[in-house]
Amino acid sequence: MVHIADMFGWLAARPRSSTKGPLDADEAPPLKSPVIAQVAARGLSPQVRPGGSRSNSPFRSSSQFRSDSPFRAGSPFRSSSPFPRSPNRASTPLGIVPVTERDFSHLLRPEIFHQLSPLSIPPPFRNTTKQPTPETPIAELLAHGQFRAAAIASVQALTSSPVSATIAAAHPPVDPSDYARVFSLFYIRLACLCLIDSMPLAAQEAKALEDLNQAYYLDPITGAHLMPWELRLLAIRLQTIGFGDPRRAIMSYYDMAREAHIQIAKAAKAHENSESELWKRRLVELGIKVGGALIEMEDLAGAAAHMATLRDQAQDGKLATAKALLWLHLGDVDSASRCVRDGKGGPVGEKIVLALVDMANGHFEDGLKKWTELKAELEENGIQDEMVGVNLAVCLLYLGRMQEGRQILEGLVDNGQSSRTLLFNLSTMYELCTDRAKALKARLADRVSNLEPTSHGWEKTNADFKL
Amino acid sequence: MSHQRYPSMDPVKEPHSVSLKVLRLSRPSLVAQHTLTAPSELQSTTGAAQDDLVPASLAYRSTAGTNPDPFLLTPILNLPPSFGSAYVGETFSCTLCANQDIPPEPPATAQTPTKVQSQKKSIRDVKIEAEMKTPGSASVQKLLLGPHGDDGTPAATQETGTAADAAGAGGVDLEPGQTLQKIVNFDLKEEGNHVLAVTVSYYEATETSGRTRTFRKLYQFVCKGSLIVRTKVGPLPYNTATTRKVPKPAEDGESKQLQQKRRWIMEAQLENCSEDTMQLERVVLNLETGLRYRDANWIVSESPRPVLHPGEVEQVCFVVEEDGKGSAVVEDSDGRIVFGVLGIGWRTEMGNRGFLSTGKLGG
Repeated sequence: MVHIADMFGWLAARPRSSTKGPLDADEAPPLKSPVIAQVAARGLSPQVRPGGSRSNSPFRSSSQFRSDSPFRAGSPFRSSSPFPRSPNRASTPLGIVPVTERDFSHLLRPEIFHQLSPLSIPPPFRNTTKQPTPETPIAELLAHGQFRAAAIASVQALTSSPVSATIAAAHPPVDPSDYARVFSLFYIRLACLCLIDSMPLAAQEAKALEDLNQAYYLDPITGAHLMPWELRLLAIRLQTIGFGDPRRAIMSYYDMAREAHIQIAKAAKAHENSESELWKRRLVELGIKVGGALIEMEDLAGAAAHMATLRDQAQDGKLATAKALLWLHLGDVDSASRCVRDGKGGPVGEKIVLALVDMANGHFEDGLKKWTELKAELEENGIQDEMVGVNLAVCLLYLGRMQEGRQILEGLVDNGQSSRTLLFNLSTMYELCTDRAKALKARLADRVSNLEPTSHGWEKTNADFKL
Repeated sequence: MSHQRYPSMDPVKEPHSVSLKVLRLSRPSLVAQHTLTAPSELQSTTGAAQDDLVPASLAYRSTAGTNPDPFLLTPILNLPPSFGSAYVGETFSCTLCANQDIPPEPPATAQTPTKVQSQKKSIRDVKIEAEMKTPGSASVQKLLLGPHGDDGTPAATQETGTAADAAGAGGVDLEPGQTLQKIVNFDLKEEGNHVLAVTVSYYEATETSGRTRTFRKLYQFVCKGSLIVRTKVGPLPYNTATTRKVPKPAEDGESKQLQQKRRWIMEAQLENCSEDTMQLERVVLNLETGLRYRDANWIVSESPRPVLHPGEVEQVCFVVEEDGKGSAVVEDSDGRIVFGVLGIGWRTEMGNRGFLSTGKLGG
């Protein structure tokens, strides 16, 4: 029997890579492989200049940056045509099919989707009345942080494979031409997989979307993309992982930035203020995403150069804090402090960064003092910040005061906090406290399973407790 | 870090009442988050001007606005998840935890409790000692146990007597579930196998008797090279020719003596052979008497500090000259001039420090 996946083999083929992006100046070569540059650097005649910067990335040297970052609303791309990639957007025969008649059943094939094993869930989460029934509507599942259940339910609707009539009523099978619902369910599926720590599965499933820029996904009349913005953003990142091509994300974000510029111009012309604001926000987010993608590529110097081109529009200290965190990640404590100095990081942002700088310098006593003060200050205003508590506890461990740190972390859990980091650090402390950490971790899992399910997520995995 | 329990020196076959747990304390790391936008149909219908983020996609919740979402990195810190790699030039830090860990009483239904089990044990005078065996030396080095000051204080001590005694003196009594936590720091200077040996001793007392018990655990790890340094020295023409053109750092007016100064250019290639990205913090020469130098690197050109990804090379250079103060330049038996040593300091993720200095450079 010919396996159906073979028949659709072409669907799993690697999508066409983008070869031209908005950053591609006419004279500049496309993104050069870091590997090539590394080989060159290792060679007998290394291409290094004293004090100079290496150039294995277009972002490495700040001089290569145009001062008008494409992620600023006021700086349009230097492109003569509004659709420089127009071959995609018209001219193919597929583009003529009216949107309403397009068939998306290739996204509904059951073999795209993976089975989710409940075995990675600690028993207290499995055996409780808090587990939702299979009939619970997806929206309710999401509202209660039941992401594994939502991931399963969305596939039942996508693949029309509900196990019973009541479930079919709760998650009605999708019509292959109802692209809005197909994409919405696909997004819920991928997003929920990410939220339950199954990103590798999501990366595989996102491959089914293939080339996100293909004409089939575009409205032939308006040129608008049929996918919701959030799905495109997520699919780009997942395909980057799925195809093992980290530069892909950056090129795609730049493509989307160009689209945002066009939309902003369009909205401005039509005096659609809220539309223009929406696209401006998206542009800012794309700029930040490029920074994140560069960090994930481990091109930290490139990320720092890129982040320096972003303008702080919100003025709330978030961007300054983000820049400082990047410098800390790179190990440059001086630049980190500089980013938040003179109130640039906001009153709280500056304190956070300076406390982290102390820890990065190995001055854990000073760091402890800063975290303690910040905690007291926030609590005076009735705020309990999970991050401040966790970092305070980490600091205590480095000072040989793990017992106190453990109490702080347990206090956070008692107060209903349950971030992955909190549970990981507490489980690590349990491992240091006794040969029988497994019992302590199981008890912790039990406590966390008793928390009320909220949109912040409820179900945890064994890995969260280092079980 | 692989570890093994030493064949017990303890004649008693019973399980120990104290457990030892260790964790390498590399710097804690910033937690990454991949923020997700809420599905359009679930966006708050209040006409919010903001695309809602899925709260569960954030690394942590904050009502104080401390999370720089949607940025990838967040300020919340994760403890080191694994041992990682150890590199020459870094300080190896490790925490040692001795825990009062008497197994819980077996349930009453179990076999008739023996006399020993039924007696309440108390654990007194718990002490931890640590030693490091490096590849180059036959003997072990006793380590000073913290908590002690910050990075500035001496990390390790080779004194075998007083310091270690002081640190280990005065054992601690531990109640059930209590922990004695210590921290060791050790500057890694050699490539190869290192063994951290930790000895725990305690006095186990029952109502009627007591005994001193000891056990030892060995933790082995490999220390790798982090930086390859290649240097080259070449002569430069005497200063006279350029005296008028190039402003000199010299302040003395003895022009005649100045004009006789010999000059060299010292170049060094620094190759990152580790698996981590490093940022060079400082590169300095410690010269022998009679010499001084001018830095010709990023500080002078006001460039950002160089970042070296794994496998990348940075070239640095210095102009070395006689300081003209009359003291003779040191030469070795072959008549080669001994310049001094090159010191390189760098930082890696979350500020982890490294420092290397070369052997005496000559030319």
